[in-house]
Amino acid sequence: MDTLLNLVDGLSAAMSPQNLMWAFLGVLLGTAVGVLPGMGSAMAVALLLPVTFRLDPTGAFILFAGVYYGGMFGGATTSILLNTPGQASSIATTYEGHKMALKGRAAQALGTAVIGSFVASILGTLIVALFAPVMVAFALNFGPGEYFALTVFSFVAVAAVVSGSVLRGLASLLIGLAIGMVGIDGQSGAARFDFGSSSLLDGIDIVIVTVGLLALGEVLYIAARGRSAPDFAAIRTGRPWLGRRDLRRSWKPWLRGTALGGAFGPIPGSGAEIPTFLSLGLERKLAERRARRKGEENEFGEGAIEGVAGPEAANNSSAAGTMVPLLGLGLPTSATAAIMLAAFQQYGLQPGPVLFERNADLVWTLLASLLIGSVLLLVINLPFAPLWAKLLKLPKPYLYAGITLFSVLAVYAINTSVIHLVMLTAVALLGLVMRTFGVPVAPALIGVVLGPIAETEFRRALAASSGDPTILVGSGISITLYALVLLVAVVPLIARALRRRTARAVDAQEPAARS
Amino acid sequence: MRDDVTERTGSEVPEPVTETETNGPDESTQAPSPEETAWSGPGAWVVPALVAILGLVAVWGALTIEAPPNATRPGPGAFPGVVGVLLLITAVCMTVVNLRGRGSESGVSPLAWFEGRPVLIVLAGLVAHIALLEILGWLLAGALLFWIVAYAFGARAHLRDAIVALSISAAVQVGFSFGLGLNLPGGFLEVLL
Repeated sequence: MDTLLNLVDGLSAAMSPQNLMWAFLGVLLGTAVGVLPGMGSAMAVALLLPVTFRLDPTGAFILFAGVYYGGMFGGATTSILLNTPGQASSIATTYEGHKMALKGRAAQALGTAVIGSFVASILGTLIVALFAPVMVAFALNFGPGEYFALTVFSFVAVAAVVSGSVLRGLASLLIGLAIGMVGIDGQSGAARFDFGSSSLLDGIDIVIVTVGLLALGEVLYIAARGRSAPDFAAIRTGRPWLGRRDLRRSWKPWLRGTALGGAFGPIPGSGAEIPTFLSLGLERKLAERRARRKGEENEFGEGAIEGVAGPEAANNSSAAGTMVPLLGLGLPTSATAAIMLAAFQQYGLQPGPVLFERNADLVWTLLASLLIGSVLLLVINLPFAPLWAKLLKLPKPYLYAGITLFSVLAVYAINTSVIHLVMLTAVALLGLVMRTFGVPVAPALIGVVLGPIAETEFRRALAASSGDPTILVGSGISITLYALVLLVAVVPLIARALRRRTARAVDAQEPAARS
Repeated sequence: MRDDVTERTGSEVPEPVTETETNGPDESTQAPSPEETAWSGPGAWVVPALVAILGLVAVWGALTIEAPPNATRPGPGAFPGVVGVLLLITAVCMTVVNLRGRGSESGVSPLAWFEGRPVLIVLAGLVAHIALLEILGWLLAGALLFWIVAYAFGARAHLRDAIVALSISAAVQVGFSFGLGLNLPGGFLEVLL
């Protein structure tokens, strides 16, 4: 009951015209960025980070939350219309969504995606509001040893799960940890890896790393792909629209997708891909069963609306789900969440139990603004989805030139330092190499953000026990977490095998349409 | 739909003469290097080498960092040491994977899609921007960067590109100074005006 009261309080705070404007802007930007291939909400949040320093924390996080939700939906638009997923979380939507578009049912596909996203965001946010305080109560028992176990947990999860190859995920994570070590060591004050440069003493700013790896790295990568880069041919679309029959077919997949996304969102490293593919697989299995038992037509492989409704709900509710560990524990489970954590730190706020105590109003306003973001998502996208697709008609040279310009600007704005731009170029080159050789970028980002936290907690724990390492496994919580490390390393591997099987099955069913 | 995507008008990117149509339309639109693809050829050693170098630097740092005398143990070198050793182990594992996979190499280089020229042009643009930013000011240096990157991506309407570049650069400068109070360098224009 307290939770609901708090949420209502937050809602009234978030309804200020200014905050509403930030939420609106966030959803708008997020959708725009989500539409563009290769650019996800993580990149949008990274580019916005320096700009938002001038805002108050509440405004900034409302903006970010809007971007996060908007990005999830934007990806669906291009998946459906162009068969070009804007980000990994919308790959599952392409299978049935694009086939619906080819059959002239783009409007219905978009409609079920928008409304599914809306339903999932609302339910997902309510779940967050209910569970975050539980998580906080739990987290109050955490000491440095437990926090260290928690970071190990997310490192293992991220490295093992995000990438196609465990080895590459691990390499990416370690690269991130290495980048995070540059600068003055917070515990002892010793200078590390400064190579005699005074600018490196401050460390490599998270904005430089994120903008370099995500935005500028992507520009270089697209440049390198030259002719083989995706081209966004024009496609026609109508206004999103759902008839009664489609609605009847959609609502159950929405709820199932929401449940799947909400369950996987808080698990480090699982991201939005696993629940979307699980949802797609589930809906297809159910359709097969319906066809067998009741003789209903199984449309999977030819554009089944269930195959859009489920995954789209799943990715939005997983976006909400990542907020639970982020706010409750200070633990980012996706690249976007990692950047949001960095943003919290820039304001001198440390997410976790303390945040709920000291800045409760901020937290509840943020949660309430997620609700507002969902509503705005519906308002902006239901009528304007076709307009978003037009964004792809921007001449490609100008699009990428613009992204380059904004990347440089975002980094220069941190400290108006040209040396930061040199670092940016170096990091972007690293990003190009990683992309070229299929090394995932997200683990590196999480490494940069969580690495220093892991190190601090580790050394604090040992300092507290005067060097006795048993403190690291000295409590039930730590032991449970290390047990979970093992579990988390295994479960998503199974899920990925499932996902591959799903993908293969989809390919196998429709070989003609996909090759 | 796939076929539509690959039918290029050819107006925006200068098509290299050595166009290989053997790949089929699907491969040219797919991401050329998904995370599951194995590395082969000389390029296979880029990432292992990078990881190994980073590992060596981290280990070297761990051994040479001077801890203040009052520092608690484990000191500032412990974490870099662990990360460095793990980086080296990863590099060794990648080497093993590479050596094992050598027998099953297909004839096509997986990096055939990589075009160095546009990348170098973008990088040149960045270097020029960094060098000139505080001399020319944001307006001109930013416009130059925009123009060069657009060129690298195949824009050839030079005058129109320049106008677009200048107006975007100017819009950013005005928006940032007035909207957010962020001062971008004016460069020599500031002195002139």
